[in-house]
Amino acid sequence: MTTTRERIDLLARAFPQLFPRPELVRLVRTQLGHISALDNWIERKGVRVRARAPRTIHHICAGNLSISAITSIAHGLIVGSRNTVKLPSPREDATTRREIIAFVQALPKSLRVLVELQSERDDAALQEAEVIIAFGNDATMTALRAKVRGDQRFIAHGHAVSLLWIDDADRLTSRQARACAVDVLTYDQMGCLSSQAIYFSKPADVMRLGGRIALALEQTRQTMEAKPARPLGVRARIAEARDVAQALGHAVWLPPARHLGWTVIHDPDPTFVPSPLHGVIYLRASRPGSLTRDLAGVRGKISTVGVTGSKLEPQVRQAFLDLGVSRFCGAGQMQFPPLGWHHDGRASLGELVTWIDDERPHGL
Amino acid sequence: MFSPREFSRPAVRRAWIAALLGPLPEQRFEELTRELFAWQMARVPAFRRLCAGHGVTPDTLRSWREIPAMPQVLFKRATLYAHGERTPGAVYETSGTTTGEPGRQRLLSTDIYEAVCVAGARRIGLFADAPELHFIASPPRLAPHSSLSAMFGFWNRAAEAGRGKFWMGAADFALLRDRLVTARCPVALAGTAFGFVHFLDFLGERRLALPRGSWLLETGGFKGRSREIPKPELYAALTRTFGVADRAIWNEYGMSELSSQAYARGHAGLHQTPPWARVLIVDPATGREVAPGREGLVRWIDLANVDSVLALQTLDRAVRTATGFRLLGRLPRTEPRGCSLGADDLLATR
Repeated sequence: MTTTRERIDLLARAFPQLFPRPELVRLVRTQLGHISALDNWIERKGVRVRARAPRTIHHICAGNLSISAITSIAHGLIVGSRNTVKLPSPREDATTRREIIAFVQALPKSLRVLVELQSERDDAALQEAEVIIAFGNDATMTALRAKVRGDQRFIAHGHAVSLLWIDDADRLTSRQARACAVDVLTYDQMGCLSSQAIYFSKPADVMRLGGRIALALEQTRQTMEAKPARPLGVRARIAEARDVAQALGHAVWLPPARHLGWTVIHDPDPTFVPSPLHGVIYLRASRPGSLTRDLAGVRGKISTVGVTGSKLEPQVRQAFLDLGVSRFCGAGQMQFPPLGWHHDGRASLGELVTWIDDERPHGL
Repeated sequence: MFSPREFSRPAVRRAWIAALLGPLPEQRFEELTRELFAWQMARVPAFRRLCAGHGVTPDTLRSWREIPAMPQVLFKRATLYAHGERTPGAVYETSGTTTGEPGRQRLLSTDIYEAVCVAGARRIGLFADAPELHFIASPPRLAPHSSLSAMFGFWNRAAEAGRGKFWMGAADFALLRDRLVTARCPVALAGTAFGFVHFLDFLGERRLALPRGSWLLETGGFKGRSREIPKPELYAALTRTFGVADRAIWNEYGMSELSSQAYARGHAGLHQTPPWARVLIVDPATGREVAPGREGLVRWIDLANVDSVLALQTLDRAVRTATGFRLLGRLPRTEPRGCSLGADDLLATR
């Protein structure tokens, strides 16, 4: 039996970059009130309370990105629960599955024994868990919700999109452009924190903006680890996006030798349309007054808005709030939320635990 | 430099049909392709823009293999019609399953489509035994925007002057069954794979031994599955139920955006195109043909597709072979995106 502090130490030693100890400590303190809240009674406003971790958490991972699953498992380990993990199904690109397995195998033994990996869907594991955390599309969430009992907690991370907002495109600096490029290229746009579009405030010189973003994308790509060859389906989607845009007369910026690392397309229609991902980013002009209309199709599904510069016009901020945005951050930080961020507006550890109150007067 | 003919003139269209159905050695195919390419580029703005994006003009084109191909989805998003304001004689609609909007293939006249549909079917001997034709489909007058119904109508007109019959779904299945049971001469039964599945469901365990020389033709089954029945199972069920050999079952691979069709025989047959159309199996990243034995996407060059664009890029996967191509199925509409919202998901939420 380990304490929270011991588990944090083990995790931070094994993955110092991914899970720095000070951040883990801050996460527990912020969300549970005390580093020992799971291990001892703590005093809170005259009442002694203690957090209780679920015996078992069942994590259902999506096939697009490993980081969400890894973070979810880490949260389960911090609270000391047993974690059953349904891996993504093997696909043409099994990177996500491999990365999750590698993470679990690299855990210290005393944490690894708390994790059980499952390749097949296991309804028994689903039924046994006190908490179910699932990542995936909305259809998957709906199907899972139907299987969950009333006494189980179901934390669904369904569909979401993220985007960048540039308030003054004509004054976009090279540094800001590179920050946007990081947001686009990190994880190959595969996560819900990945920017699928860059919205900018009218009026602006679109050709100049597109050129700057394109240059930044190429420069940033060259600093990143080379990706494995793209599978046929991905090559097809990128080629199709480029050809469609060119045939429609949209401005298109392509990399040298037309490599498939990135694509910038200016779509004059401000209405949000999902990107085919894999480095395909759409530039769309909008106005603060029309943002809610232009993004109406994804109302309630916008996770993160990355903002260039330090200011966000009140009208723009309000529009995004009306659209249900749950996180603002600086450009370049979209993919790197702090460990304590509220994923889909939720407290990651806080939602896992339940509380025991002891209201008796002290000493009785 | 070519001086393209004016394809809106009936006489020119008749001459074009004759050219397509005549001998078409490689050099002649190249000449005709260049001519149609130049004509369409001048008249279809989206095609012109696409070619400009690839840096291809009639003057710089080295081979018909280099013609940029229009993504199939563009038929849903742009007007791809080479005759400007002239009213199309026919408009065929694609399914709207991907974007919610159907794509539209506009033909000035159905003359070329009819000619190549019939010639393509004749080439592979579909009408050789003068079969009695039955179509599990809506007749053209009830489905004026269905290119498949139109093709079946052309076949019906060409083979024994309209002896064939259209059978529309479950209501007609009992009548069709009785007709097939009493058939004494070869019959041909054509329809979508989906239609066949429904007919098989209706027949249950009933066996209909069709007369010798009969054949079946399914289309739309190239996606690998029709409802929940994989292609080998569908063909096995068809041979069992109708008493025909696997080789007597044809697959027609065509689409509303094209005028020509490719055919394959038996569940494992390779698809082959008629001489006036070519299929390249390409790597979408480069647009170049993959090596034999490798997988790529189907790209059509269809000289009969005069009124829109002759080069079409599909999302159909296939393996290039020495003598044709083996269809594998359509790419999934989206890659695994997990929590990342995609176009299909967005549509589903509306």
